[in-house]
Amino acid sequence: MYHRSSSLGFGACVALAALVVACGDARSRTTSAAADTAAANVTGAFVLRDDFGDTLTLRAPPRRIVSLNPATTELFFALGAGDRLVGRTHFDLYPPAAQAVQDLGSAIPPNVESVLGVRPDLVMLYASNSNRDAATRLHAAGVPTLTLRIDHIADFRRAVEILGRVLGDTVRATVVADSVRRTLERVQTAMQGKPRLTAFWKAWDSPVIAIGGGSFLSELVEIAGGKNIYGDDPRPAFDVTIEDVVRRDPDVVFAGPESSERMRTAPAWRALRAVREGHILIVDTMLVGRPGVRLGEAAVSLARLLHPGSLP
Amino acid sequence: MNGRPRQAVLYLVLAGAMVLAALAGLAVGPVRLTPAEVWNALGGRGNVTAVAIMRDIRAPRVVLAALVGAALAMSGAALQGTMRNPLAEPYLLGVSGGAAVGAVLAVAGGAPFGLVPLGAFAGAVAAVMLVLTIARAGGRRPDPRVLLMAGVVVGAFANAVIMIALASAPADSVRNALWWMMGSVAGATWGQIGWFAAYGVASAGALLLFAPEIDVLALGDDAAAGLGVNVDRAGRRAYVIASLLAAATVAAAGLVGFVGLVVPHLVRTRAGSRHRAVIAAAGLAGATLVILADLVARTLRAPSELPLGAVTALGGVPFFLFQLRRFR
Repeated sequence: MYHRSSSLGFGACVALAALVVACGDARSRTTSAAADTAAANVTGAFVLRDDFGDTLTLRAPPRRIVSLNPATTELFFALGAGDRLVGRTHFDLYPPAAQAVQDLGSAIPPNVESVLGVRPDLVMLYASNSNRDAATRLHAAGVPTLTLRIDHIADFRRAVEILGRVLGDTVRATVVADSVRRTLERVQTAMQGKPRLTAFWKAWDSPVIAIGGGSFLSELVEIAGGKNIYGDDPRPAFDVTIEDVVRRDPDVVFAGPESSERMRTAPAWRALRAVREGHILIVDTMLVGRPGVRLGEAAVSLARLLHPGSLP
Repeated sequence: MNGRPRQAVLYLVLAGAMVLAALAGLAVGPVRLTPAEVWNALGGRGNVTAVAIMRDIRAPRVVLAALVGAALAMSGAALQGTMRNPLAEPYLLGVSGGAAVGAVLAVAGGAPFGLVPLGAFAGAVAAVMLVLTIARAGGRRPDPRVLLMAGVVVGAFANAVIMIALASAPADSVRNALWWMMGSVAGATWGQIGWFAAYGVASAGALLLFAPEIDVLALGDDAAAGLGVNVDRAGRRAYVIASLLAAATVAAAGLVGFVGLVVPHLVRTRAGSRHRAVIAAAGLAGATLVILADLVARTLRAPSELPLGAVTALGGVPFFLFQLRRFR
């Protein structure tokens, strides 16, 4: 029996670890500067150091790319390289054209054999500790592998720049980056002088998971004229007690459609002023879910929710 | 002191401890409330937030924790007596593995999250029945050793099913189900408490009613048969009631380990050898322990929570090791 309960405990730990990973992994954050050391050497090959500290050498722009991060998948399409994708994760559903790319399963950690099976000449990974083993194996198999941590808006800008250089199209990368930056600035400017509403972002119901300061969503809330009640916590996401949310007394709550409905009907959430006053703002989880090329659009949608009528 | 007054003192002490634990559970939380505010809010007076905190967050947690703790401790006390094994516990006969499989399969099959507890209960019941059937196939009557082996085998099987579900079902949902299995009373609602209380009181009453049979079974099968007890039927009755009570706790709060193992031992030396007294005292002590464990779970790592099952196990493991030493 003790074998059994310990095995179940193990299963639960795996589940926990996976959840933490899914929400981002703040502790293993490597310095963002690591990936910036890129240079073209004498032979014309392109050398890059990624967020795992691994060195990547590309002799020509990749033609068969596996992107195991929804944010980079979106980005490849935006950079006009969508037709070079030969593999994606189960969760990469945007843009719609991405759904035609082969689904290689849930990404963290990836099934290395499936990845090798589509014969990629570049694999993009998210810099989670759970991917470290896969990165090592892919390197060992001679497959160029680039691991990037994309959690913040600044990480996205950096990823655009790096992928532009990888694809050999820095002009287009600059256009994409500028377009996102301009939209974000427009929102930020429009929200100046508006009252700062405090906001609780509920990412999950059981357990209740809050978005913290380590997530780009927290930055988007600030840009859109709000203030995340858990913005002072450096983690991207973590579970919280309902009563702690009540203590912080947010003006509004951001939640997905189903999550909002559950919140409205659960007696315990009646303790929250924002819920009693009907200030649950329903977010389009597909739009705001990832730090990709639609960051600007996401900021616009949040600003419209926080301050209706303030943006055209 | 002779038996009766001594037991009365024991019950008074245990009930007093439980009331104190409950008061602590009601008074402590992230939002600071004065004792007067706590009292008024419980009565529905004062500001709306305080009333909702007391009536819809803290009170349901405390009450559900008490019920779950009492149920697990009583179930454990009954099983230890019936199996004549001091290390028997409520999840022994397949409850934990079966419940986990039920919960995970419910989620993997696309059931809404609200049906997960029902899935867990169905899985636990199925596993208990399977264990009892296997044990009977092995011999004339459910020998405790055969039962134990059957429990381990069914548990291993359950693990395999969980692993397969983990590997093939949508990751988020299975994770959600497993998280839920780790034990928590965070989502306690009065509706849930209502059905659990009804089920728990009936099962606990049955355990207390059949406690004299357990006294006889604890003497050994031959002695019990010699005293005119139908060993097979009495044993099976105790196994089924105790295991299904534990299954209901899983549906209400996930897996809360070690309460059922530890608490009966804590009270046995003082409650005497009669199982009616041991079971009743274990119920009071179990309620106290889980109320306090929940208080620790929700305050130690604020604003986040620790899994309730982890807190009870952290306290329980050292005791378990101590027990092992004593029995060597």
